[in-house]
Amino acid sequence: MSKPTAGIFGLTGCAGDQLVILNCEDQLLDLVALIDIRDFLMAGSANDTGCDLDIAFVEGAVMSKRDEQALRRVRARARTLVAIGTCAVWGGVAATDESAPRDAWLEEVYGPTGADYDSLPARALHEVVQVDYQITGCPIEKDEFVSAVANLLNGDAPLLPQYAVCVECKFRECGCLLTERGEVCCGPMTVAGCNARCPALRIPCVGCRGPAADANFASATAMFTEGGVSPQDVARKLRTFAPQGVQQ
Amino acid sequence: MPSAIEAPVTDAVWSANPYQPHAARIVRIYNMVENNHLFTLRFVDEDIGLSFRHRPGQFAMLSIPGTGEAPISISSSPSRPGVLELCVRRAGRVTNALYRMKTNDLVGLRGPYGNGFPVTEIEGHDLLLAAGGLGMAPLRSLLWYALDNRDRFGRVTLMYGARTPADMLFREELVSLVDRTDMNCLLTVDTDPGSVWKNHVGLLPGLFDHAEIDASRTFAAVCGPPVVYKFILRKLLDLGFRKDRILMSLERRMKCGVGKCGHCSIGYKYTCLNGPIFTYWDAINLPEMI
Amino acid sequence: MKILKLRKDRLDFFASVVQQFGEVHAPVEVDGGYAFRRLSRWSEARLNYPRTILPPKKYFLPQRETLFRFVPEKGYVPSAEGLDTRIILFGMHACDIYSLNILDMVFGGAYPDPYYQARRKHIVIIGIDCIPDKHCFCRSMRADFVDHGFDLFFYDIGDYYLTMVGTALGDDMVLATGPLFEQPAEADVDEYKRRSSNKRAAFQLEVEIRDLPEIFEMEYQSGIWDELGEKCLSCGSCSMVCPTCYCYDVADSADLGTRDGARMRIWDSCLFSTHALVAGGENFRHSRASRIKFRFYHKQRGFVAEYGRPSCVGCGRCVAACPVKIDIVEVLERLRGVQHAVSH
Repeated sequence: MSKPTAGIFGLTGCAGDQLVILNCEDQLLDLVALIDIRDFLMAGSANDTGCDLDIAFVEGAVMSKRDEQALRRVRARARTLVAIGTCAVWGGVAATDESAPRDAWLEEVYGPTGADYDSLPARALHEVVQVDYQITGCPIEKDEFVSAVANLLNGDAPLLPQYAVCVECKFRECGCLLTERGEVCCGPMTVAGCNARCPALRIPCVGCRGPAADANFASATAMFTEGGVSPQDVARKLRTFAPQGVQQ
Repeated sequence: MPSAIEAPVTDAVWSANPYQPHAARIVRIYNMVENNHLFTLRFVDEDIGLSFRHRPGQFAMLSIPGTGEAPISISSSPSRPGVLELCVRRAGRVTNALYRMKTNDLVGLRGPYGNGFPVTEIEGHDLLLAAGGLGMAPLRSLLWYALDNRDRFGRVTLMYGARTPADMLFREELVSLVDRTDMNCLLTVDTDPGSVWKNHVGLLPGLFDHAEIDASRTFAAVCGPPVVYKFILRKLLDLGFRKDRILMSLERRMKCGVGKCGHCSIGYKYTCLNGPIFTYWDAINLPEMI
Repeated sequence: MKILKLRKDRLDFFASVVQQFGEVHAPVEVDGGYAFRRLSRWSEARLNYPRTILPPKKYFLPQRETLFRFVPEKGYVPSAEGLDTRIILFGMHACDIYSLNILDMVFGGAYPDPYYQARRKHIVIIGIDCIPDKHCFCRSMRADFVDHGFDLFFYDIGDYYLTMVGTALGDDMVLATGPLFEQPAEADVDEYKRRSSNKRAAFQLEVEIRDLPEIFEMEYQSGIWDELGEKCLSCGSCSMVCPTCYCYDVADSADLGTRDGARMRIWDSCLFSTHALVAGGENFRHSRASRIKFRFYHKQRGFVAEYGRPSCVGCGRCVAACPVKIDIVEVLERLRGVQHAVSH
C-alpha cells in the first residue's frame, strides 16, 4: 500500500504551528516514513502544488482573498482537511476586534494606497470551507499533533480533550491562581491539552487554546467582575484568542 | 493496607482482570440494514468461548485495538452457543473502526455484563416483545431464547415496527416467523416505498389490534426510540400491565462495564450492573432514565 | 486495638526508621498550598496542614494510568508498572482515610479492580489527627474519625502522639524502632478525651445528613439546580479534588507508525458535557444544571442507596476549589431549609 500523501500549509499567521511540526525532532523520521509529505513550503521548495492529498494540515486564519483561494484549492485537493492552531480553528488574535473600521486601519498602516490592499476580516477555516478535524493551540502541542497523526493513519478521528485547563492544572496539583490569588486566570473556560503549562509556572491562563466544551462565559464574567475587573476588560481578555467561541 | 506477609497481589492484573479483552475473530459480516451490520464473532481461545455464557439482554465490551472500546448488546441467544452475534450501529469511533474491518480480522471482547432479562421469572408466563426501529437488536436474543425453549413460555408475541422494509433489522428471519403457529409475529412498516411488503403497514401501536394479550399473565419487553416508549407504555398500562412486568433495555455509554467508571450511572443505578434491563417501575423512580 | 504513645520530639527518628519500609510521602508546601509528595528529607514534611490540593486517591487511582499495552501479536497485555511500589503515606487525615474506605466499596465488589487493589495492598497509611478549619464538615459526614483503614494513627496529646496500631505491619514499624514507643498512662487517655471534645467544639459547619436522600427526591425539581447550573463553570475542579469522586474515562492511544497502542484511564467528571453522551450524539445530561444536580444527587442520594452512606467525607476541598464559590454545605442547607427553599 502506498503511503498517504500529505500537505502542510499556512495562511495568515505566525507559522508557529508549522514550526512545531518541524520541531517534532524525535518523530520527524517516523512521520516522513509514514506519510508522503508532498507540499510543505516552509520545509522545502520542491513541492508538488497540484497533487491530490490524503491529509492537509492548514495553519492560520483566512485574512485575504488570496488566503481564501489558497484554502479552497487545498480543500479541493484534500480528502481530509485538518485545521491546526488557534487561528485556523477560531480565527485567533487577528479576529479579536472585528468592529473596528477596517478601511481606517488599512490607511493608517499602509498609507493612502491601503484601501486597495487585499485584506479581509479574519475568519476561521470552517467559516470558509468544510473542516474535518481541528487541533487547537497557540501553537499546537507536539504530542497532540503526533497522536492525531497516529489516529488519522489508523482511520480514527484525533482524540483531543474537550474539558478545561483546570483539569490538567489539578492533575499537576498546582495552587489555584483564581481561588488562592484572585488572578484573572482563564483556565476554567479554556480547553485543555497544554498540560496547564502557564498556571504551572504561576502565570494565569490567557485562553490561547480557545474555549472548552460548554464553557460558561457569563458566569466567568460575573466572577471576574466581582473580583474587581471591569466587565470591558473581562470581555477583552476572554475575546483575545477565540472571539467566536465567546459569542457562542 | 499492606499485610505483614508479602502477597503477589499484582498477579491479579493478569489472572483476574475484569478489563481484559480477549481476542475474537470476525467470522461473518452481514449487511442487514445500512449502517446496522450483524457481526458474528468467535473467541480465538476456545475455553474463553465456552466460559462466556450470557443471558438474553446482556451486553459485551468490544475493543478495536488502538481505537477504543464500546458496549454492544448481544443479539444472539445463549440457546445457540459457539458464536456471538452483535448487531452494531455505525455511530461512533469504535463502531466506525469495526466497519472498516473484514472477515477474519481480530477484535477484543469481554463480558457478558449487565443483568439481562429475568428469564427465569418470565418463564411460565406469556411474553410480549415490542420493538421499534433499532430496538429489535437487544430483544432478538430473548426472542430466540423463548422460541428455542418454547415449552417454558406461554403465548409468545412479537410486535416490531420499522420505517420501511429496508430499515427492518433481521428482516428475512422475522418474516419467516410470520407463518409459525406457535407464536404471533406481527411486523409493520410506516411506509412501503417499494410496494413489496406483505405484512402490516402503519404505526407500531396499531399491531395491538392483531394481538391477543392477557396482561395478568404477560411480561412485556420493550425497546426502541423514545417515541416507542411513549406510545407502547401507555398502551400496556391501559391493558393493565403491572409496572414491574414491563421490561425495557436502555442505552448508556459504559466505559468499564463493571460498575466503576460512573458513565452509565442513572440516579442511583448503574446501567452496567443494575441494567441495561430496567422495569417501568425503575424508570418512574429513576430520574432522567428515558 | 493496640494503643501506644510516642514522644513528639522522636517523630523524626520514627520517620527515619520507617523509610526502610518504603518511599515516604507526606504533605509538603506547594504554591502556598499543600500536596502529598515524595520527601527528599523529613524536614520538608508539614504535618500541621489543613488539606492537600489533591486527596491521596491519586496514589490509588492515578490521574492517568495505563491499563494495557496493545501489541498486535500479543493482544492486550496488562500494565503492572508501579503497582508494587511500597509507599508510606505519612500524615493522612481521618477524612482522607475514610474516603479510601469508601473507594474500597466501589473498586471491590463483584468485579474487584486489580490495579486499585494492588496499590491498596502496597501503600502504607499513617494517619494524623487535625483541627477543623472553616471548610471542614467531616464530623457531619461521620468521617472525623476512622476505626480502620490505617496502619498507624497518631493523635496529638501535647508532648506525645497517642498511637493506634491498626495492622500487623503497623506493629512491625513500631517494633522496628526498638523502645521508642511507650505505654500510655491514664492521664494520656484523659488528655486525648479532652482534646477530642475540643475538636468537636471547633467545628464551624454542621450538616444534617439524615433523610437527605428523601429531601433530594422531594427537591428534584427545585429551582436551585437551575441557579447552580447558571453559575457552574463545568471546569471539573470539584471532581478532581474530591477524595471520593472516582469517575474515569477510558481511551486508547495509538503509537505512531505501528498498530501498537495503550489503553489508558483518565480522571473524568460528571460535570463535563461529554460524560453522559452516547454514540450517535444523544446526551442524557445536556444542560449544566442537570449535570451539577446529578453530581450532588449521586453523592448524597444515589451512593446512599448503593453503599449505605453518602460518598462525601466533608473534607471541604470542593468548596475551597470552586472558582465561583459553589458551596456544598450551603446547597444542602438551602435544600433542607424551609425559609430559604427556592420557590418551584
